[in-house]
Amino acid sequence: MTKGSRLRLVLRDVASGCAFASMAVSGQLPLWTLGLYGVALVAALAGKRLFARRAKLTALLLLGVAAVLAVNVTSGALNLVVAACAFAGLISAHRLLSAPDAATDGQVHLSGLLMVAGGAALSGELVYGLFLVAFSVLSSVSMALGVVEAAVPEGEPVPVRAVLRPLATGVTFAVAGAMAFFILFPRLNWNMTGPRAAPGLGPATTGFSNTVRLGGAGTIKDNPRIVLRATLSPDPGGDALNAYWVGRTYDIFDGLEWTNAGGVRREREPLLTLRPGGDNLIHQRVELLPAYGGRTLIALETPSRLGNAVANGSTGSRRTFLQELAGGEARFLEAGLSYSYEAYSLPPGGSGDTFRRLPSVEQDALLALPEALDPRVSQTAARVLNGEREPLAAAQKLAAWLQREHAYTLELSGEREDPLADFLFERKAGHCEHFATALTLMLRTQGIRARLATGFFGGERVNDGYVLRAGDAHAWTHVLVPERGFVTVDATPPAHRPSQGSRLLQRLLGLYEALESRWRNSVVDYSFRDQVDVARALVRPPKGSESTERSRLPPPRAWGAALLAGMVVYAAWRLVTRLVGRPRPHEATRFVDLVEAVLLPARLFRAEGETLEDLDARLAREGHPLAPALAPATRRYLEARFGGRPLRQGEAEQLIRALQRAVTAHVRLEAQRARAAAAEPRARAS
Amino acid sequence: MNLRLKQRRARLRAWLRPPRTLKVTRIGRTYLVVTFGVGLGALNTGNNLLYLLLGLLLSMVVVSGVLSERCIRDISVRRVGTDAAFAGEPFAFRWAVSRKQGHAFALTFSEADSPLLGGGGVGYLPANVEHVVRANLTAPRRGPLRMTGVRVTTTWPLGLFAKTRVLPLEGLLLVYPKRTYACQEPGDAERGPVGDSGNPRRNDGSGDVTGLRELAEGEDARRIHWLKSASTGKLLRVEREREERRTWVLTVEAGLAGDALERRCEEVAALAHRLLDEGHEVGLNTTDRRLRSGAGSAQEKRILRALAWLGFEGAREEEEEAA
Repeated sequence: MTKGSRLRLVLRDVASGCAFASMAVSGQLPLWTLGLYGVALVAALAGKRLFARRAKLTALLLLGVAAVLAVNVTSGALNLVVAACAFAGLISAHRLLSAPDAATDGQVHLSGLLMVAGGAALSGELVYGLFLVAFSVLSSVSMALGVVEAAVPEGEPVPVRAVLRPLATGVTFAVAGAMAFFILFPRLNWNMTGPRAAPGLGPATTGFSNTVRLGGAGTIKDNPRIVLRATLSPDPGGDALNAYWVGRTYDIFDGLEWTNAGGVRREREPLLTLRPGGDNLIHQRVELLPAYGGRTLIALETPSRLGNAVANGSTGSRRTFLQELAGGEARFLEAGLSYSYEAYSLPPGGSGDTFRRLPSVEQDALLALPEALDPRVSQTAARVLNGEREPLAAAQKLAAWLQREHAYTLELSGEREDPLADFLFERKAGHCEHFATALTLMLRTQGIRARLATGFFGGERVNDGYVLRAGDAHAWTHVLVPERGFVTVDATPPAHRPSQGSRLLQRLLGLYEALESRWRNSVVDYSFRDQVDVARALVRPPKGSESTERSRLPPPRAWGAALLAGMVVYAAWRLVTRLVGRPRPHEATRFVDLVEAVLLPARLFRAEGETLEDLDARLAREGHPLAPALAPATRRYLEARFGGRPLRQGEAEQLIRALQRAVTAHVRLEAQRARAAAAEPRARAS
Repeated sequence: MNLRLKQRRARLRAWLRPPRTLKVTRIGRTYLVVTFGVGLGALNTGNNLLYLLLGLLLSMVVVSGVLSERCIRDISVRRVGTDAAFAGEPFAFRWAVSRKQGHAFALTFSEADSPLLGGGGVGYLPANVEHVVRANLTAPRRGPLRMTGVRVTTTWPLGLFAKTRVLPLEGLLLVYPKRTYACQEPGDAERGPVGDSGNPRRNDGSGDVTGLRELAEGEDARRIHWLKSASTGKLLRVEREREERRTWVLTVEAGLAGDALERRCEEVAALAHRLLDEGHEVGLNTTDRRLRSGAGSAQEKRILRALAWLGFEGAREEEEEAA
């Protein structure tokens, strides 16, 4: 096998791998198909074509696989589209392991095409786009090498480098053409299937449980995965939002874990109104990502209304109802991989709740203390407060004390019998749940109503919205303040409230998220409306563009100037390339030009088509006085041009000088003769 | 009149023929079916990724067309030809191919509008380099074969479509009779051991001089007796004795046509080959032509040429007129 053939096969196999990966990123393919394909790909890349000798017999394996998939589909364990995609992948795997010939190559490429189409049906991830482009490029190169290899006579090398250049240009144009087609081809529907969701890589991270158990290491704070995207209106505009996003609250603590009093409050509502709001509500369009892993709605503190919820699954999206539970928790009724909804929240300052309007169970729970509460907790709280009775001031005083006297740590090993006492008096270090629990219970010991709230703290700007990471999961305290309702007081040191993960990893994920956001807005959610906008922007500038905020993109004339500059640079580059690459005149030819220039004063010109030796021969025939001077130059020119004896350094100048002297002498002589002839008396005919 | 009509027809055919023809390959058909399916899927579901994929697939089709067009443009071909073409068996044929600018890939060459089967290919043709493409062609039947052009086909870049262009190039290939085994005996030799058996006075030997005669067309000039030729004013050749050679004159009977003529031509060609191979002299008698006896490979070629033209005398006259 030649080097070109090996390269072609490797490219073919890697292209097939990319096509399979474009499906695999959806996370919906059965694990065993991933394993089988992976083994086949590795074997193929190692050059082990295990099915080369028994292609037909091994094709029976595919029948078995098809039967397994069919059983899965009929039992409802597997989606039909997913099963079809998995089968396409396994067909490709079989072909990878078969003997490489023209037919097999074609089948591998076409099965790759099917896999990429399947990937489009399963996933809308940015990674899919990358795999699509990788598959297109690798597959095209492999196919082109195959075409050339088939035409190259046996034994001759495949001109790989020569193939790559025009092909690279072609693929670039194909990608550009695909983009143009994508933008301009009229969308004949409104993408009614809605966005599809894929579980992504790795298990879901956060979610909400019905209880919060105190203790254990806070590993989640290191996790940089993005769990929530939100667009706010009005847009606060800052890079870091540093806001509290509440999921639910807890009011009963038994010494080890927090729970809620009460159960389901409202069973099935399309729109949940948790508390009345005014005109200054903050609107949020929220998307909970698969990494979130829960069904509890998250909203900026303090949520007023929640609704318009959509659950996104692998096959599309559907509207879902909401359920209200104790602790102000709102849940999606139907499970999905990801969710989107809208929320309205009150501006910061308080929830506006009044004690009397709270359910009676909650009223009782807000001052409840665990039976076995360490008496030192109460004593310490009293000592710190030193008679302070105003709830908010007391809470802030205690929070400041906790931040001052206790350290933040995520490394808490082992279960403790009394985690609160351990945090406050023994270890004096803990994470957000310890700080929030301590503050809540210390307030309660002093007769101040408080509860634990969990959710997220932070908000990092990405494009036009904000994202939350799994590491932003947080717990804090709600203090009931008369006239204001529940007010947030956070006892955790400010530096440790947001995610504690690696900065580099967070930046990388942030960059990916920004790209993913662009991809989603520009490709996945591209619609007829966007096409109309594009057309309108081409015809005239968008209405009100002068009055609204200036775009971050350069103005159209800058694009035009850049395009023009690019074209000029390209033209200049082409010109330079052509000049550099043009055939340079032979040194001897330049010598002839010099000889010709020197002969000009003597009025000796070469006739049309007359060579230097012809001129020399003519002058010799005519007995021209310059013939002897021209002869050595002509002879030397012929030797240099055709005889393989190039002119030595300075030789041309020497010959030219000699010729020039002869020409000057000749010209002078001619002039003298002319003057003499003019001076001679002429006989006049009479 | 007939010739003019033929020329007009050929011109009309050339005018009507599209400059390029496009044929979808097997993998190309499947590719188009998948593209169609992706298009239907995109329209049906509104999935933007399918639209993107559809755009990519269609763009690749367009790019494939552009690249293949660039590939077969600016190509010039000349026929180097063949040494000998026998009907029914492959013979080596060559074209010299070049292009002034740009590279070309995966080109296959064949003769257009001719019954010649087979073709040759070149994987990579750089600019300003003349590349000789070799091919094994097969002619199905004997006779003169008029070639009107060279067909250039490329499946570059992806092998989805085969784009073909015909480069007009007039030419004539004379196909000799099929090489078979001679079943019949050649009959009696004109001179030699039978009848004239044992007579050493046979021509074109290397023995003693037996006489002089006028030099016939196509005979070896080295046999000319320059002194006598100068004195008589015409070319005379020396005839020398030969010991073992015999002379046969093979005949293709008049009135034969179709398969009978083909069979006879093949038979005569095979006999001539056998006899000449054995060192004898062979001549040929046909309806309108007589080849003097001769020996060697040149004589065999003359006989084969004469046999190839049998039944195509009209075309031969045209050819001679054109020459």
